[in-house]
Amino acid sequence: MKVLIVDDSSTMRRIIGNVVGQLGIAKEDFDEAEDGVVAWKLLSENTYDIVLTDWNMPNMNGLQLVQKIRGEGSTHRSVPIIMITTEGGKSEVITALKAGVNNYIVKPFSADILKEKLDSVFKK
Amino acid sequence: MSMSQEEIEALMNETADIAVPAEEVVVEDDTQMSSEDISELVAASDEKEDTSQAVPQDDNLDDILAGIDGITEDEPVLENDDIVEEEPVLDNDDIVEEEPVLDNDDIIEEEPVLESVPQSQEISEDVSAMLDEQISKGVYPLPVEKEHKVVNQLNEVAQDSEEKVTKIFDVLSLVLDENANIEKNIKDLGSFVEKQITLLEALSNKFPNVAVLGENLELARSLTSISPDTCKTISEENNQIFVAMELMQFNDINRQKIERVMSVIKKLSQYLNGIFEDDSDRAEVQIAKHISGDSSEALDEDDIDSLIADFGN
Repeated sequence: MKVLIVDDSSTMRRIIGNVVGQLGIAKEDFDEAEDGVVAWKLLSENTYDIVLTDWNMPNMNGLQLVQKIRGEGSTHRSVPIIMITTEGGKSEVITALKAGVNNYIVKPFSADILKEKLDSVFKK
Repeated sequence: MSMSQEEIEALMNETADIAVPAEEVVVEDDTQMSSEDISELVAASDEKEDTSQAVPQDDNLDDILAGIDGITEDEPVLENDDIVEEEPVLDNDDIVEEEPVLDNDDIIEEEPVLESVPQSQEISEDVSAMLDEQISKGVYPLPVEKEHKVVNQLNEVAQDSEEKVTKIFDVLSLVLDENANIEKNIKDLGSFVEKQITLLEALSNKFPNVAVLGENLELARSLTSISPDTCKTISEENNQIFVAMELMQFNDINRQKIERVMSVIKKLSQYLNGIFEDDSDRAEVQIAKHISGDSSEALDEDDIDSLIADFGN
């Protein structure tokens, strides 16, 4: 299983990577990107089973990345996306869901929450 | 205010039931959503036909984005350097340097200057000392230097915090790796002890009269519980380290808060500069120089007349 972790904070990428690692996914099986531009480049070169993305990032933010992934002509339209962000407002959640994210996690989160969301996404 | 996970999931259920176009969704509640709320909302949104259909119309999305853009990073942000260049910079050094300073040799050769130069230096030192005193008392603000600028300081705090957290994370990762090695070694040791027990049991059965074999067998059996117990302890410690790593999300959250404050300060600075700058060539109104006055209460007419009379005497 290939996982793409997108977050401008290296600490957050490592935290998420640790949780993903606890689920039995090897380090070689997940890639990291510090913004949407790098993530989109990786998506154009690889195939991923899930994308875990932050919202607030420089260059291309998480919402723009989701829109690009779900956009017309994208070859990754069916890849599950979980947004992990500090933005916990009602309008933000609705906006993200309408853009096409499959699930939404508000920071700070526990490893159990991420595991639960990953399980729910993969079960579908 | 952001929403908790439970509230988000409750909201997700509500919005799915409504299933209206984006512009019809009135979002005024800004409370934190909970995990359950998000789950319910996700579950409800999954009832929609498929992911591609869940993508909103461009127009609707633009409306939502227009609202979001006010919060996120899409807005132009001024570079620190821009602000630094626009602001007038004055510091103690400038004030001191503007004062005429003469060498001691000049003072000896020219007698008239001899008296004034030390006075000038003294005044300069006095002014400098007074400024330092006022700054230390908090009467005057710190001089506008790079290390005193709020945005620079906040930027440094954010960067320093990120560096330190990365180092802490490295240490925790190292401990996890070491624990994994220790766990592997202990399991190997446990496996060895099991083999020793088998061997000692065979020898003890073959040579029941050799007491040392029986003693070593008992000792080996007593060691069998050490391996699983130690592995359990290491596993519990690892869990604590994972919890500590999770807690370090605070850095990312605080960094984003700092970035928002920095953005507000930069915009405020830009706004104030725009208000106060005057690029017209009109002659300015003459402004009188005001004396500072004293803090005593104003005299009434009688007191003034009395004073005039006294001076007249």
